[in-house]
Amino acid sequence: MEKSNPTTLTKLSDVFRFVIKDLISDGWRSLLTIISLAVVVVGYLLLASLAQAFVILTRQAQVTNNLLIVSTNTIDPMDSSLGDAVLQTAMEITPDQIQHAFPIIFRHLTIDGRIMQVRAVPLEEMPTALALTLIQGYWPDGPRQVVVSEGAAQQASWKIGSIVNIYGTNFLVTGLVRSTENAFGSLWMTYTEGQHLFGTAHGFQVGCLVLVSTANPESVRLKLLADPRISADYSVYLENVFTNDYNQSNTNLLILSGLMVLVSLLAITFGIYNATSLSLTERSFEIGTLRVIGFPLSKLRGFLFARALVLTLAAYSLGWVVSFIFINHQRTQASVDLIFLTLRLTAYSSFIGLGLAVIFAFLGVWLTSGRLAGLNPLNGSK
Amino acid sequence: MISIHQLYKTYHRGSESVEAVSGIDLEIIKGEFMVILGPSGGGKSTLLNLIGGIDHPTAGTITMNGFALETASEESLTRFRRDHIGFVFQFYNLLSSLNAIENVSMPLMAKGIAFKQAKAKAVQILTRIGLEKRLHHRPSELSGGEQQRVAIARSIISEPELILADEPTGDLDSLNAQAIIALMHELNKQMGLTFVVATHNLRLAENADRVVELRDGKIQPNHIDKTK
Repeated sequence: MEKSNPTTLTKLSDVFRFVIKDLISDGWRSLLTIISLAVVVVGYLLLASLAQAFVILTRQAQVTNNLLIVSTNTIDPMDSSLGDAVLQTAMEITPDQIQHAFPIIFRHLTIDGRIMQVRAVPLEEMPTALALTLIQGYWPDGPRQVVVSEGAAQQASWKIGSIVNIYGTNFLVTGLVRSTENAFGSLWMTYTEGQHLFGTAHGFQVGCLVLVSTANPESVRLKLLADPRISADYSVYLENVFTNDYNQSNTNLLILSGLMVLVSLLAITFGIYNATSLSLTERSFEIGTLRVIGFPLSKLRGFLFARALVLTLAAYSLGWVVSFIFINHQRTQASVDLIFLTLRLTAYSSFIGLGLAVIFAFLGVWLTSGRLAGLNPLNGSK
Repeated sequence: MISIHQLYKTYHRGSESVEAVSGIDLEIIKGEFMVILGPSGGGKSTLLNLIGGIDHPTAGTITMNGFALETASEESLTRFRRDHIGFVFQFYNLLSSLNAIENVSMPLMAKGIAFKQAKAKAVQILTRIGLEKRLHHRPSELSGGEQQRVAIARSIISEPELILADEPTGDLDSLNAQAIIALMHELNKQMGLTFVVATHNLRLAENADRVVELRDGKIQPNHIDKTK
């Protein structure tokens, strides 16, 4: 019989035909292998979506050059109460270091069933000193208007034009912003609106000192605290300390999530290794027969790789569907204080995961292939 | 066709050495039906494995059509078997998850031929040997005789020059055994295939061109040669 060279597609089609036949003949064992690998995939996808949420957090936090003044001995800034005099005093102590100062009204409130931070600041400070970035809509330009953080909008399903009830009053959402501090769970209104809403009896909670670009924030802070007019009743903090700590902890969480993601996928290597190794042990006779009738090691190895690929693709598909249902239909969210993490199954993490899963599966086969070379044709001659 | 000279095969098991094949000289002629007769443990299977390139001799030479099997690499031997030798085993050695057509197609697929082409030839051969109604049956759905027919079909599909059969009737009842013997002789005569059959079944030796008796790894002097 003359050998006509089959196309690559034909060769692949033949290989996968026999792979699927082989897996079907294995019956329950193939199914259990797929399910166990799918569990690993679900673990990866959930961790990857968590890591994605942390990426958004770390992306948003920028370092500013501001100092914050609050009443001394307060744990929650909401308990602080300041007047304009303290800002005047701070500027008198370090006139060349402070560019300007402004008040911030600060509250923790339950809005739409979620605890959020509400800040009332002068409008001109929103994009400048506070480094808020308007990503949709417009800044508040009328009464009872707010801009909200991305995360708060996602969690509460707010969009431009939504009505939000804050402290008994309805506000219109005019814009979505990306912020320097808490990326999630924050709303900003103008200082005037804050005074109307909360009254002026408790003054404002935080004084923000915007330093000149050449100032050393720590030096200015120490100078202020050295003056009894400040140190007696107030505490002064570097705003970027919070931001740096926040960034660092998010980065640490991101790194940890990344490592956990890799470890979870590495489990696929061992899953495939075990499945392949068991298959080789049970089929040493059949593999020996194939060697006797002329199958080279390369073709047998190719068959094992194809088998691993089919198992991995089936497991990944099943795992992806389960993860999709869990993440999207359950709308799972994690919450750390006011930081809401929205788990999202992105195309990026899905395809990266698929690629890594296939690579780790092939690694599992490669680790077993040493045994394949040791399976003597004599096994097939008995 | 095959020239065997001073062939030895020694197995070491711990401190013991067993000489399974001891100083064999043998010539196998193209187209002949040779039977290697002997009791269990006499070295028949070992000799067949050495001729088939499945095992390596301890000493001596085996040359088939100019190809030296004793010095060839594992992959060279695999290619050589694929292209020149067919095998029939006592327990059929069929792949349990594949049907008759797929089992018979294997040697052609090992050569890189597409399954569609291989299948066509497999159907042809299976039909020729009377298994047209068993094409899509798996080994578990076939009788012993039918399984051995499938195994014989597999051994000849790639048109080898030599068929090595190790106790091909060892697992069959007398009726099936006769049928298999008849089939092998028919293929020998019609296709000119060289058969080397290892067996302790005297009936297989009856119509052989040459009978070589192997005992304790050595060829006995009283062999029968009908070619002369």
